[in-house]
Amino acid sequence: MPADHLARWFAGHWGEAVEISGLKRFHGGSARQTYRCDVTGASGRRESVVLRRDPPSSLIETDRLAEYRAIQCFAGSDVPVPEPIFCDAGPESFGSPGFLMREVAGGQAAGLLDPEPYGDHGASVGQQFFTALGRVHAGDPTAAGLDAPPTHPALARLAHWQAAYAADRFRPEPVLEAAMAWLAANPPPAPPRLSIVHGDYRSGNFLHDGAGRLLAILDWEMVHAGDAHEDLAWACDPLWSHFSGKAGGMLPLAEAIAAWEAASGLTLDPIAWAWWRIMAQVQGLVIWISAAREIIDGRSHDPVLMFAGTIPYRFHTLTLAKALEGL
Amino acid sequence: MSLPLPALLNAVATALANEVAPALQLLGQPEAPDANYAGGTAGTAAMILMLAAAEAAHGPAREAAAADAARPLLGEAATGRDARHAALGAALATGNRAALALLIAEAEAAYAALGLPPPVPVT
Repeated sequence: MPADHLARWFAGHWGEAVEISGLKRFHGGSARQTYRCDVTGASGRRESVVLRRDPPSSLIETDRLAEYRAIQCFAGSDVPVPEPIFCDAGPESFGSPGFLMREVAGGQAAGLLDPEPYGDHGASVGQQFFTALGRVHAGDPTAAGLDAPPTHPALARLAHWQAAYAADRFRPEPVLEAAMAWLAANPPPAPPRLSIVHGDYRSGNFLHDGAGRLLAILDWEMVHAGDAHEDLAWACDPLWSHFSGKAGGMLPLAEAIAAWEAASGLTLDPIAWAWWRIMAQVQGLVIWISAAREIIDGRSHDPVLMFAGTIPYRFHTLTLAKALEGL
Repeated sequence: MSLPLPALLNAVATALANEVAPALQLLGQPEAPDANYAGGTAGTAAMILMLAAAEAAHGPAREAAAADAARPLLGEAATGRDARHAALGAALATGNRAALALLIAEAEAAYAALGLPPPVPVT
C-alpha cells in the first residue's frame, strides 16, 4: 500500500515517526499512479506531497527517471513545476518505480471534454502556458540529461511512433499508414537547435488556480530532446482545444505562436509546422491504438484506456483523414 | 472504433466486476484512499457503457452503410471492416482519392455516433 511505503520512506528520511493522512489517488493520468497525502512527523513537521509511481499497465512506455530529471531541471526557474523531492528508479521505496514531489496547493486541471475549463481566464492562462512552453524550448537538453536523437529529430520521432504502432497494431489503419508514408517522404527541415521537448504539453497537463494563474506544468514522462515544433503542434492540436478552435482552448493560434516565439527565441518554420501538425495526429492515433491493445490483450481493464481507445481514436482518425485531403 | 465491440464489451464486463464494483463500494467511504479514484473510474465506466450500448445498437447499420458505399470501388472486399480498410489502404497508397473520400465518410459517421461536437480546426 502507498501509505506503508510513504510512512517508511519519510520516517527514514526525517529520522522520526510519521503519520500519513489524507491519502488520495487521482483519477486519470494513465501513465502513472498518482497519490497525494499529508505527512506529519512526531516533531510536528508537516508536508503535503504527491507520489507518482508506475502502474502495471500504462498508455505509454516511459523512462522512469526522465520525468524526474526534467522536473529537477526546471525547479526554481521561470517554468513552473512541482518541487521535486526524491526519485527511486526501482521498487524498493514505493513498491514500483516512482518519485515524490511537493503538492501544488489549489491547482486544478482541465478534462478533455470540459467545454470551457478556463472560464474567463483562458487568454491569461494561455499566455502563461505558451510562454512557459517557449521557456522550456529555450533550455538546454543536456541540462535535463537528455541525449540527442540518433537521427534527424523529426524522423526519429516518426520512427518511434512507427515502432509503437508496429508493436500494437491489431487491424488495418489506412489513414494512419498513409499519413506515416507521407511524413516519411516529406521530412521537414532540421531545427536550428535541439530543444527540451516535453512530449505531452497540452491542456489538461498543467495546474491552474481557477483565477487566471498557471501553477505548474505536469506529466513530463515523455520528455526528450528534439524539435520544438513537436510540442507546439501537439499543444495546438484540435483534440486539446475543448471544441473552441483556440490553441489549447485558450488563445487564438496566432497569439499562441507569438507568445511561444517571444519566449523561446525561435521562429515558427511553416514547413516544419505543417509536418508536425500531421505528426501530432499520428502520435495521438498510435497512443489511442496502444491503449486499445492493452484492453484487447487483457493487460488492463481501466476504463480510461477504453475511453482513449474510443473517443480520441475516432477524433484523430477523422481529423487525420481530412488532413490527408490537403497533402 | 479502435476497440472492436466484442473486445470492448468483454473488457467492460471485467472492469465492472473487478474495478467498478469495488469502486462503488469506496464511493460511500470518502476517507478511503481510493475513493476519489473510484469516483472517476465509475464515471468513466458509465460513459463507456453508454458508448458500448450505442455501438451495439447502431454499429451494424453504420458498418453496412460503409460496405455499401465502398462496394462500387472494391467489390466483395468492401464487406467487413478489416478487409475494406486493407483494400482502401492499398488504393489510397496509389493516390486513389475515391478511397480517401470513403475513409473520410466512414470516419465522420463513426465520430458522429459519439454525439460530441465536431472537431474544430485550430487556425
